[in-house]
Amino acid sequence: MAANKSQGSYYTLFLVGATVLCAGIYLGGGMGKLLFLVGAIGFIASLFGMLKIKSLEGATALKPGPEAMKLLGAIVALLGWGITLFGMHLTPSVGGRIVLALIGIAVSLFGILVVLPGAFNKNAVWKS
Amino acid sequence: MKKIRNWCLVLCILFVGMAAGAALYAQGAAPAAAKAPSAADAELAAAAAKAPATADLAKGDPGGTITGTISDVPAADSKVGVTLPDTANQVGQNKIAINFVWTLITGFLVMFMQAGFAMVESGLCRVKNANHTYMMNFFVYTAGLFSYWLIGFAIQMGGAAGNGNLGGLQSLTPEHTFTLFGKTWGLFGGSGMFLSGHTYDVGVMVIFLFQMVFMDTALTIVTGACAERWKFLAFCVSSSIMGAITYPLYANWAWGGGWLSQLGVNNQLGKGYCDFAGSGVVHAVGGMTALAVCLIIGPRIGKFNRDGSSNPIIGHDISAVLIGCFILAFGWFGFNPGSTLGASAAGNLRIGSIAVDTMLAGCTGTFGAMLYMWMKNGKVDASMSGNGLLAGLVAITAPSGFVSSVGACIIGLIAGVLVCLSCSFVENVLKVDDPVGAISVHGTNGLWGVLSVGLFADGTSNYGGAWNGVTGSVTGLFYGDASQLAAQLVGISTLIGFVFTLSFLINLALEFFVGHRVSVETEIAGLDLPEMGQLGYPEFVFKPEPDVLATAEKSYAVA
Repeated sequence: MAANKSQGSYYTLFLVGATVLCAGIYLGGGMGKLLFLVGAIGFIASLFGMLKIKSLEGATALKPGPEAMKLLGAIVALLGWGITLFGMHLTPSVGGRIVLALIGIAVSLFGILVVLPGAFNKNAVWKS
Repeated sequence: MKKIRNWCLVLCILFVGMAAGAALYAQGAAPAAAKAPSAADAELAAAAAKAPATADLAKGDPGGTITGTISDVPAADSKVGVTLPDTANQVGQNKIAINFVWTLITGFLVMFMQAGFAMVESGLCRVKNANHTYMMNFFVYTAGLFSYWLIGFAIQMGGAAGNGNLGGLQSLTPEHTFTLFGKTWGLFGGSGMFLSGHTYDVGVMVIFLFQMVFMDTALTIVTGACAERWKFLAFCVSSSIMGAITYPLYANWAWGGGWLSQLGVNNQLGKGYCDFAGSGVVHAVGGMTALAVCLIIGPRIGKFNRDGSSNPIIGHDISAVLIGCFILAFGWFGFNPGSTLGASAAGNLRIGSIAVDTMLAGCTGTFGAMLYMWMKNGKVDASMSGNGLLAGLVAITAPSGFVSSVGACIIGLIAGVLVCLSCSFVENVLKVDDPVGAISVHGTNGLWGVLSVGLFADGTSNYGGAWNGVTGSVTGLFYGDASQLAAQLVGISTLIGFVFTLSFLINLALEFFVGHRVSVETEIAGLDLPEMGQLGYPEFVFKPEPDVLATAEKSYAVA
């Protein structure tokens, strides 16, 4: 099954939900909270609607990979950013901050260029 | 005798009364004397008298010498005529008007870049996916614009009051902040949702239009990298969220008064993170998101062999690709010079230098890629030459406001070579399938552009005497300020560590709920009919796929 009416309906619900949710944030107060709640329900309902029709799509050229490794890659990438941020406060010297920023970038790149591709290519369809 | 004395008394009283009356009259007349025309007002009145009469104008003005005179300056009081305050007000409004028009027109140029992206991306895809790829480029404009209007603009610019080029934008406040180590840092904006309330303002509308088309450029980068296998529904949802959250958040940190721009004020790192027109904010954000989605969505059927080697999947229209590149290069004259947000005052006459830097970096980027491929493979590669042009333009986007023409040439040349190396690395080492090279053009070279500010900024720019609240000009390592390089590295780390991760997690969640990839059946048939219901070129006779792809597709179909 390719594109279909259900997809169109759920995307419309997604947009309406997001709009009402934003209107709730904008208005604030009692009415705002009500709109926020209604919008959030619509937004979440649209996602679950899309989940419901996802299985009708048919098989894709993907195989499930190790989920933990994917999350590990994301965490390592985030960790690198953390090193850079705290590096700014660890030392007042420009040279020290540059070195710590470079270490942070290297750690993030390790997560993105080594861990994540490893996770996604581990069970890649093209290998079989 | 007594009578005479009484008469004298009456006369004295009369005299004193008359004297007092005269004094009072004189006091009353004094303000009138102050209103007497000054020398300047007299000159203005003389100029008004010399202004061409209606009868003269009615005869026509072929030389343009009598159109636009003092007669066109509105007077607050028509009886008094044009005064000095009237003239000063008109000068102020002219400055803002020039800046409004400049910013709007350059914004229109950037909007037209969508057409260039559509042609480049579609041309580099197979004919069976042409409609789908064009449609993604078409609809990303709508999806991004709507979510940006809802909340994205508020997150990005909702605390960015204080831009004198556009009249102050005072209604864009407050910026939500947090305090860390005793210093206050901006996190996201607080006003501008729906462009309503106090943000229903002429200046805010101008900055909204300009920032919106930038945001849309970032979104359209992802469509190219994920072309030929991205489910349209997943693309719609992913783009809407990126326009609402991912892009605006980083853009706020860099441009909207957020913490990256405060690195100079709070941490004495140069002038804070400097990204003049968006190598990082626009292109690297798009490139990082493209990499995140590409990892999740996987390579196209037949792209990689069992041993990991890759097969070229040739695009269907190289002429569209190269014309698209030219459209993008044209639009870049809006992207970079327009980022001054004005042509009048505050050092904005540097727009000439910015435009030339943009041209030169595109030129040397083309040289870099074309010569590299020619020397490596013995043939000039048209699509990589186009990517070289774009890589040069992407790389110069951040430093364009701060570097000399020589610096621009070097930055562009390195970008041109870098895009070739990066494309090869992404495909052969990471095993990530990027049909148009978007990750390398925008991601890799976006990061290179951000870095190059910290190296090549020559300290000659002067946008009102300060940048990001720090007095002085942006100066890079090669011109004596290593701290600017540190600020740029923090920006790069944020792009790689935070923006990538945020995009990755959002799209991983969407993979669970929506599923990014089309079915095998749809992918083999081409996305045009199953996803769009119409072929891009219904009257064309399709050439059969090359053997290697046909075999791969057959094996998937059987499986």
